[in-house]
Parts: sequence; structure tokens; C-alpha cells
Amino acid sequence: MARAARRPFVPRYLGVSVLLWGLLAIFGLLAVVGWIVLMVPSLSTVWTDQSLRSTFLPPFSEGYLLGTDNLGRNFAWRLTAGIGVSVFVGVLVAVISVVLGLVIGIFAGYFGRAADAGTNVVIDVTWAFPEILLAIVLAGVLGPGLEAVILALSLTGWAAFARIVRGEVLSLRERDYVAASRVLGYSKVTVSVRHLLPNLLPITMVMAVYFMAVAIVAEAGLSFLGLGAQPPTPSLGGILAQGRDYLNSSWWPVVLAGGALSIMVLVLNYVSDGLRDHLDPRRGVRR
Amino acid sequence: MWYVLQRVGYALLVIFLASLVTFAALRVAPGDAITSMLNPSTTPAEVIAEYRDRLGLDLPIWEQYLRYVGGLLTGDFGISLIDRQPVIEIVLNGALATVILAVAAFIVAFGIGVPAGVLAALHKDSPFDRIVRAIGSFFNSVPNFVLALILVLVFAVQLRWLPVSGTGSWKNLILPTLILAADPCALTMRVTRTSVLEQSGADFTRTLRARGIPTRRVNWVHILRNSLNSVVSLGAVQIRTLLGYTLIVEVIFRWPGLGSQLVQSILNRDYPVASALALLLAVVVVIASALGDLVLRWVDPRIRVSTGGGR
Repeated sequence: MARAARRPFVPRYLGVSVLLWGLLAIFGLLAVVGWIVLMVPSLSTVWTDQSLRSTFLPPFSEGYLLGTDNLGRNFAWRLTAGIGVSVFVGVLVAVISVVLGLVIGIFAGYFGRAADAGTNVVIDVTWAFPEILLAIVLAGVLGPGLEAVILALSLTGWAAFARIVRGEVLSLRERDYVAASRVLGYSKVTVSVRHLLPNLLPITMVMAVYFMAVAIVAEAGLSFLGLGAQPPTPSLGGILAQGRDYLNSSWWPVVLAGGALSIMVLVLNYVSDGLRDHLDPRRGVRR
Repeated sequence: MWYVLQRVGYALLVIFLASLVTFAALRVAPGDAITSMLNPSTTPAEVIAEYRDRLGLDLPIWEQYLRYVGGLLTGDFGISLIDRQPVIEIVLNGALATVILAVAAFIVAFGIGVPAGVLAALHKDSPFDRIVRAIGSFFNSVPNFVLALILVLVFAVQLRWLPVSGTGSWKNLILPTLILAADPCALTMRVTRTSVLEQSGADFTRTLRARGIPTRRVNWVHILRNSLNSVVSLGAVQIRTLLGYTLIVEVIFRWPGLGSQLVQSILNRDYPVASALALLLAVVVVIASALGDLVLRWVDPRIRVSTGGGR
């Protein structure tokens, strides 16, 4: 059955619907919010100001759109700041993992069998530790904190991507233009940068968005365990952990922070799938 | 046979390197065992020296590593810095609790995921298929500790049907099992569905049907068997994810397994316990992935051909 070509409903830019770019832009904005939260301590009174006279106010209370938490802090601001921090960590981890994955994957796929075998062992050792486990161990070694979380998630994230890049490189290096460049006397490094990298760009974007989702969940999980962001730094995991202790008296911190987390993951997965369909014509046709 | 040996050898190599990692983590961690056990300002220097000697902290680094590995091989994992119990006891206690939880989750995930996937594929685009897929993508996006908190809020805090946390009755197992099973179940279902769809269009299926084999038999025996290899290889990957999340879910439900102990030991800076637990979990993952490869080879003769070597 031949499927009629679907006409795009939304305008496109670089072959990708504007909707996806818009969603990505929102995440960029949130990352900036997170950066401000972490870097400008003088603003922090907005989300750390406590008022023990107005604790556990439900959402839509006067002056507090989303109510207050157990210390009477404005929950709307706390949630916003927490989302920002999560996205900031997610973007940072995604960028680091993707760069590491590209470099190591190309190295494995294009620089000979010894390089390939060596990286394979490193990847397998990294894979032996589930992300969360490695993050927990690193948090133990470095001391709990966002730095440990970012390092741990980047150190585990690259492995999966390096495998993918290696696979792509194995097929790319057989292309005529790659062989031609080598014959013309360009070094392997030059060929990698000029020909391999541009071809790897689509899958890189897809995976970067996917890593962001994974990192955001993992960061929240670690902060939930008390190994990530330390109070009073707002983070979704921290809000969930605190909310859990007061489930009897207030449901909104857990429901709202959990909802925000789930929606972010849902949107990122959607964007990642969308990018894959648009950027990679081979996978564009769905069953 | 050669392939099996190769695979086992490789797994051992990875385990060896993983032990280097946990050993290094133990060494790099701030504060050594002595400063956590004895107060340096009040303990006489000779006592500290004796302890250093007994724990082998002054030996060259490779000799310390050999002692560490030797200890692991003979079941001597060291002694907890907090309650002075042998680490092996702590680990064994926790392992039982974790295994119960993980096995229960695995059974639920595959017990529901595989049949649901087959049914969804056989009735492609039916309401059942749509609903199952919607539920699947929901479980795939909601992080399981969030799901855990929401379910606790609904079933334990509001409705009071199930306990919030702890152990003691089978009711304590329900929520953690369901939560751990949710994501693997969704994934298993999706993979089974895709792979059954692929197989049901294959030539051998048509031949079987043409030969008059009952549809039910074709679907649930022949197609399912051929679809299972992707499910099996998925299983090995899932053990890794499952173990990772067991850590968090155990903490949420105060389930006294390896995860709770690991997080506790890290927060207490009880490094011998933490490093033993981390290594143990890594070993489980490596063994699972090796077993996955071997089972896959046994289930699917085509792989035997492509990876070379006979049986």
C-alpha cells in the first residue's frame, strides 16, 4: 500500500516543524532560568523566603498561585526555579555526553581495530554500572551535590551514544566520498571533521534531546535520594522528597513537581521522536 | 563452545576492570577508614599505626588491590565502618530482599508485557491495541519514583488500602512491584508487539497457515517463539535498568534491600559497604548481559552462524 505523501500542517525550518523548534526554545529558556537560579544567589530570596505563619496553603490561596510548602515558601517560585535547575542540568549533561560520545565513537569506528577493541572494553565497563548506581557512587566519592550528579550522568551517558556513533561511522567510512578524501591525502582527523561529523549531526540532535530527558529524570531521582542538589537549592527531586514527608497534609508539591517532571519527559520524548522522523529520512516512514 | 568461552572470558575481564573502578572509588573517597573509625586527636599514634598496619593501608597500591580482590574471592568483603558487622552479612541480608522484589517485578513485567504485546499485534489498530499503547507510553514517560509517590498518595494515604512503606506482609510488596514492573512491562509489550507484527508477515507464517496449522497455534507457538529473541535481548538490558531503579524504589518504600543499604552507606560514608554493594550490582549486570547473549544464541540459530563457531 503506497501511502500518499502527507502535506505538512505546520511550517518548517530546516525540514523540521516549527513546533519542535519552539518546544526546544522553551527548554533553552528554562535552562537560562536554571543558570540564573544557580549563579545569582542574591535572587534566591524569591524562592527561599520562609514564612511559618502561612505553611501548607493550598493552591489558589491569596498571593500564592500554587500555594506554599511546609516552610511557607512560595511554591510557584520554587517549582519554577526547580524546573529551571533540572533543565539546566539536563542540557549540560546532554552536551557533555554527546561531545564525548561523538569523539569516542568516531575514534572507535574510524581509527583502527585496536582503538575499536579498547573503547569497547571501556564502554562495557561503564555499562556494567547502571547510571543511577554510578551516580550514587560518584556522589559518595565527590560528596553529594549537583557537580557530582552532572559528572556522573555525563560519564555514563556517553557510552550508549558512542556505540551508536561507532555503528554509523562503520557504514559512513565505506562511502565513496570518504575514501576519495583519504586518497586526496587528507588525514583521518580532517575527514572525521569534514565528512563524518556533518553526517552524524541528525542522530546527534535526536540523541541529545533524548539524553536531556534521561538526565532530567536521573537528576531528580538523585536529588530525591538526597545525593543531588542540596537544600535550599530548589530542584524537582528535592521538592518531591520533601513533599513525600508531608503527603498527609499537602498533596500539591508531589503532584505538581511530579507532573512537571513527567510532562517535560513526555515533551522531550516527543521532540526526540519528531526530530528523528524529520532529520533521518530512512526512519521517516513509520509502520 | 569457543564462543561461550570467549564470552565468559570477556565478562570476567569486564568484572576485573569494574573491581578496579570500585577499588579506586574506595581509595579516592575523602577520609580513609582510620579517620572514620578512630578519632585521630584522641587516639595514640601507636594504635593508629597498628590499625593502618592491620588494614594494610601502608602497603603499595597494587598489593592493597590484591588483598582487596583476595578478600572478595574468599568472601571477606571487609567490615562496616558504622556498625562493625562483616559486610558480607549486610550484603546477604539485603540481597534476599532485593531479589524478591526484582523477581516479582520481572514476573509481572513479562507476564503481562508479552501476552499484551502479542494480543495488541494480533488485533492491530483495535481499541485494545490503542489503549495498551497509550498506557505503555504513559508508563514510559512518568519517572517511576514519581509514579511511586502518586500511587502512595492515592492508595496508601488517601484510600488506606495499602501500607505506605516497610516490610512484614505481602501487601508491602504490591506497590513496589507494580512500580518497578511498569516501565519494563511497557517496553516488553512494545518490543513484543513490533516483533510479532514483523513475524506475522513473514513467509514461514504464511506457509504454516497454508499447511492448515490452527491459527492459535501459529500465533502463540511459532510466531511467539520467533519473536522472543528480541524480548530476551531486551531482558538483559532491562535487568540493568531495573536494578538501577530498584535502588530508588527501595528507598521510597523503606524496603531493606541492597538499594536502601547502598544509599544509606553512601550517606554514612561507610565505604567498604558501598564499594562491595556497587561491585556486586555491577557483577550482576555483567552476568545478566553475558547470559542474555548466550541464551539468545541458544534460542536463535541464525546468530550462531553470524558470530561464527559451532554449538
